[in-house]
Amino acid sequence: MYDLPHNALVNFILPNNEEVWWSLMIVIYPFLTGLIAGAFVVSALYHVLHLKQFKPVANFALIAAFCFGLFAGMPLLNHLGQPQRALQIFGTPHLTSAMSVFGYVYSGYMLLLTTEIWLIYRKFFIQKANETTGIQRRIWYVLTLGVTTYHPESAQLDRRLARILAGIGIPWAVLLHGYVGFVFGSVKAISWWATALQPIIFLSSAIVSGIAILILMYTFIHWRRRVSPDYTMIKKLAIILWASFLFDWGLEMLELVHIWYQDSHEWAVVMPLILGPLYGSYVWGQIIWLSAVPVFLLGYAVLYAGNGRGMLFLVNVGSFMLLSQVLFMRFNVVIGGQLISKSARGFVDFHWDIFGKEGVLAAVILLTAPFITYYVLSRFLPIFPKAENDQS
Amino acid sequence: MKNTSRLSHLYRLGALFLVFIIGFLVIKQLTTPSSWNYEVWYRGASLIENANKPLLHGGNDSCKTCHEDVVKEVKKLKHKRLSCEGCHGPLAIHVRGDEKIADAKVINQSRWQCLNCHEELISKPKGFPQFTSEVEKHTTIEEGETCLKCHDAHDPTP
Amino acid sequence: MKKTNSDSSPLGSKSRRVFLKQIVSGTATTLMIYASGARGGHKIARMWKQKSTKHHWAYIIDVGKCIGWGGCVRACRQENDVPEGVTRTWVERYVVTEDGVYVDSPKGGAEGFEPLSEDLKEKAIKSFFVPKMCNHCENPPCVQVCPVGATYKSPEGFVLVDNDYCLGCAYCVQACPYGARFINPEKHVSDKCTWCHHRVKNGRQPACVEACPTSARIFGDLKDPESEVSHILQEGIWTVLRPSMHTGPSCFYIGLPREVI
Repeated sequence: MYDLPHNALVNFILPNNEEVWWSLMIVIYPFLTGLIAGAFVVSALYHVLHLKQFKPVANFALIAAFCFGLFAGMPLLNHLGQPQRALQIFGTPHLTSAMSVFGYVYSGYMLLLTTEIWLIYRKFFIQKANETTGIQRRIWYVLTLGVTTYHPESAQLDRRLARILAGIGIPWAVLLHGYVGFVFGSVKAISWWATALQPIIFLSSAIVSGIAILILMYTFIHWRRRVSPDYTMIKKLAIILWASFLFDWGLEMLELVHIWYQDSHEWAVVMPLILGPLYGSYVWGQIIWLSAVPVFLLGYAVLYAGNGRGMLFLVNVGSFMLLSQVLFMRFNVVIGGQLISKSARGFVDFHWDIFGKEGVLAAVILLTAPFITYYVLSRFLPIFPKAENDQS
Repeated sequence: MKNTSRLSHLYRLGALFLVFIIGFLVIKQLTTPSSWNYEVWYRGASLIENANKPLLHGGNDSCKTCHEDVVKEVKKLKHKRLSCEGCHGPLAIHVRGDEKIADAKVINQSRWQCLNCHEELISKPKGFPQFTSEVEKHTTIEEGETCLKCHDAHDPTP
Repeated sequence: MKKTNSDSSPLGSKSRRVFLKQIVSGTATTLMIYASGARGGHKIARMWKQKSTKHHWAYIIDVGKCIGWGGCVRACRQENDVPEGVTRTWVERYVVTEDGVYVDSPKGGAEGFEPLSEDLKEKAIKSFFVPKMCNHCENPPCVQVCPVGATYKSPEGFVLVDNDYCLGCAYCVQACPYGARFINPEKHVSDKCTWCHHRVKNGRQPACVEACPTSARIFGDLKDPESEVSHILQEGIWTVLRPSMHTGPSCFYIGLPREVI
């Protein structure tokens, strides 16, 4: 049992606090943009830093980031009370608001990502345009922008441009997801949100989620195609994942310790929050099961589990747990912050909605759409290097 | 098209971008409201629209126009500071222009009409008249009887 | 085969590189200027740059006078077409005891208050009503966070919502420290107390002020030295809600007990 804050005898919430205004859609939005940022960083390991061991996943990461990116705006559009006015974010962005940068940063980033992918796959488009006929040819022709001859001298130019875009793309991806952290961290009215660390926490957990989802997708795809995965590369990715998560978790715990230590008006409402409504999802779910356990699991996997299928299995279990941790974190932050009533003397109930506009069904649809899109794209584009025993 | 150079694809990409950007800027210009106030960042017309919303309550002075005698009378009594519309409803439901469109009688004649203010609650300011059982007549009220049996709504002194 | 005027750059000659660089930077700058809407020389600025010199409105709540009638909440609901389930103004009841503070606001106080339990009545050290609403802050965090400029501070000090422009994103609802804002369940845009801007601009008072029988709610112009609000505020014994938030509220409370947050 937990006490109510500020000596409250009964749970008192303000009349306008009965509804949690930012619901599941605003939970999955930062989750999706986080996947974009994380996947892009993985692709940049090869495209910018030229780390050869990550070449096999470089294009895969880009296409995955693109698929996540296609749907990143959908939860927001679904959430808006007046979605037909969404384009006003381009017309009159109010620059005192962190949220106002979304329109240009998101669409600019998608343009950058599309251009980078186009530069990389242009040769393939040309090849396909020359091989096919009829409607198929028309589509590939459009994708080549009408240039159906591949000039070998363009290769170096394309690569350099792609590298520049990838280089610009890193800070841009940082902004794309970092601003979300600022949207929350700058709200002084909500004690669970307001911290200067919020953008960094969001960003580092985004990178964790991106690496984790790529490991999971990679393993699944190679299992389905019955192609042997690159164990060495996976192990290196897992080490980066582990290190990134230690950093992320360190920051999350630092923030909590800081609020606890200062024992100020924030702790007065945060303590009953995490010992009360958020006890299950935050203390047990996010911290104990999905943070502490995977740290040890992943540590064991990369240090002692060898270089084969055993290691791969443990890494995947750890990745899945960390992916869930990030989703839990988004939920606990977004919903949790709103559970503290502005009365500072009570907590709001969160009601799970299944079929509504911001319900679980809508969230599940929006979360699976990128993977379906990836599957469709993978039927047309060569994403992984062709292997000998490829049975796709 | 065979006579493309090694930069043709970049020129076409650039041209595509240019078309897109120009189109975007044109659409943006057309869809941004013309009354936009760039200093303070809001739609200037909104200020006028907000000011022109319909008024529903007229205030006690508006009741004087037709009910001057009643208003003057109440002004001498204990309930002089009450808003007429607080019990009788807003002016806009009763009158449109100069014509009466509906009655403004107090529909709810139950005890709650009075107890809403005068029920004894410890949170009320000291000295505010509250319905107590200290008054002898209040202990013998029957079922179905309202305060109006002994008190006049405009002149509540028993 | 050496080309005469090209360096080893795949982009071609030096002059072409410079030209391309200019195009890119020029486009980028133009885009950024357009993105910031700088056609009128807009700066990233704080709110309320066009303060009116005619009026400076203020709202005063005298806590000791409120009787918890709730007619103010009803008058506001009718005047401003506020749907059930949300409210633009509300009244809270506090009961301070040795064990803690009991607060309630059933339906925002719209139907008055039921008597307390005997237990609570016995333990009560003091009890009172506190009306609340949007504070029309001088430094409103809700205006700061609106992504498109759909809420703003008018030159006379009203914080208003542009119903035809609001996206309904609810960022302003999150940012308000007082819980004064909500999303209108019928119009799906942000909504809040407007101090009955449409009434004040026509020389009337807000509906809640007119309804109040005990003058617990007072509204007036601080630019008028003879107004009641000017007299009261000059005495200097007033406070505001959540002063630590530095929002600069324009609703001033007389006799506000320290238990009120």
